[in-house]
Amino acid sequence: MNLKISALEYVQGVKNGDISAEDFVAQTMDRIKSIDNNLCAFLSINADAVIQAREIDKKIKSGKKVGDCFGMPVSIKDNICIKDSKTTCASKMLENYISPYDATVIKRLRQQDAIFVGKTNMDEFAMGFTTEFSAYGPSKNPWNQDYVPGGSSGGSAVSVGAFECVASLGSDTGGSVRNPASFCSAVGYKPTYGLISRYGLVSYANSIEQIGPICRTVKDAAFMLNMISGVDSNDNTTIDSRGTDYLQDIECDIEGKKIGIVKEMTGEGTDPAVLSATKDAISKLEGLGAICEEVSVGMTKYSVAAYYTITATEAGSNLARYDNLRYGYDFPLEGYEYNSYIAKARRNFGPEVTRRIIIGGFVPSAGHAGRYFLKALKVKSKLTKEVNELFKRFDFLVSPTVPVLPFKLGEKIDDPVSLLAIDINTVTANLTAKPAVSVPFSNHNGLPIGIQLMADSLQDKSLLQAAYALEQTVSLPEVPI
Amino acid sequence: MITEKEIEHVSRLMRIDVDDHKEYVAKVHAVIEYFDILDSAGVESEEISMPEVSISGLRKDVHVPFDEKLIEKLNHYKGTYVRAPKMSS
Repeated sequence: MNLKISALEYVQGVKNGDISAEDFVAQTMDRIKSIDNNLCAFLSINADAVIQAREIDKKIKSGKKVGDCFGMPVSIKDNICIKDSKTTCASKMLENYISPYDATVIKRLRQQDAIFVGKTNMDEFAMGFTTEFSAYGPSKNPWNQDYVPGGSSGGSAVSVGAFECVASLGSDTGGSVRNPASFCSAVGYKPTYGLISRYGLVSYANSIEQIGPICRTVKDAAFMLNMISGVDSNDNTTIDSRGTDYLQDIECDIEGKKIGIVKEMTGEGTDPAVLSATKDAISKLEGLGAICEEVSVGMTKYSVAAYYTITATEAGSNLARYDNLRYGYDFPLEGYEYNSYIAKARRNFGPEVTRRIIIGGFVPSAGHAGRYFLKALKVKSKLTKEVNELFKRFDFLVSPTVPVLPFKLGEKIDDPVSLLAIDINTVTANLTAKPAVSVPFSNHNGLPIGIQLMADSLQDKSLLQAAYALEQTVSLPEVPI
Repeated sequence: MITEKEIEHVSRLMRIDVDDHKEYVAKVHAVIEYFDILDSAGVESEEISMPEVSISGLRKDVHVPFDEKLIEKLNHYKGTYVRAPKMSS
């Protein structure tokens, strides 16, 4: 059986009777067992996946109504809650945490008869860019296992890229869906803020993070958006998408569309191979009839500092709950002095989380808030104005998703400041609440390069059309695994 | 100029044991120094807008019962009480 098919091909195959959900899921689980010891895409596996798929086949045979996913094997980032299964956030702190409820996205996928094959590896509490900050060891890039898969949703991108599932859900706070999608040659979609419910996503930086699909094709991402988007009474930041069908008209052409090439995201610090791929993408877009013009987003230079300041502040507050009383890991009930108890309870955070909690206490503190936190909010506000102005004249903005090629495991882990620069092209969409997508576009010496397209708020449908158009212009090699 | 002593003070307020995490202080210092770039953004006069949600837009303030007894899932649940670590000040 071919496990390399897209989500839509899977659905069609099951509908036609060419594929049995049980066989497909069973082979997917076998593949996970045979290759995941090396790739480390998964932190836990659903032992009942095959049985659940068998039930879907039974439903189909008996003529009962079956959900639109038809037993499709989906992997889920380990910071999204699935009832009665582990949600560790790749942290020792939540090593034994069993979620008592389903996230809204899980509930919706379950109603559509998706099968959850397992929970995927990530940077601890989604803080990182390479998956190297997972407390359970890094995931490996399926294109070259000496290289990082990107992060923080690295396990999700690896599981899609290495055919260990058909589609995956990750979360994107500053590029955590788009960056690993780019490094693993997958499509990564970060929707308009509020399009997908965050209920059941373990909070890190609520004001800017979103759940987003990682898929093999743009059409699959549109399909996943159809499954999970829409208003949710459990998350009052959600937007009513009014039953928008993101797949319908996705093949619509982009002739006459205006695209801004962001100068600050295609200049200094961009790898020559990435730059050349970006130029190629621009000529392809022009070949499709789009009108491309260089534009400037002056605040880009300050966006990473603002992003990191805001997210660390929210993280400092969100992670205060891990005190070993409400959440935390278990240790003996002996007597403790209060402060030493709390410090001990929080010792199980890894290095990046510890750093961000300290920064998250520092930047909004009374003596420094004016200099850091307040200024970061002002940068966010000015950046939003700049981008909104551009979207009055342009339909989309284009840039490389990540300014560098995938790099080797261990290469940058000890230098937090150089790691920050990796997010420079992706954080703008988060800070301004805009939708953005990474489309696999090129391959340089066996390492994938993704192109990012961004659109105005709630223009998700037209953004997917542009991404689809760009995707059709490329033919990429197959992953060597 | 931010001193490492200030960072250590904030760490304690955030309930992070700095004796254990001394090695992080230098890296935190490097990141905070990077944030100095915000000084040259020229945004002093910028207004900050916060998204507003009207009270009517919030979900109703009513008790929604959970479908199972979560307390029974706690490791130290003893049937009529939950055991917590003994604390001294």
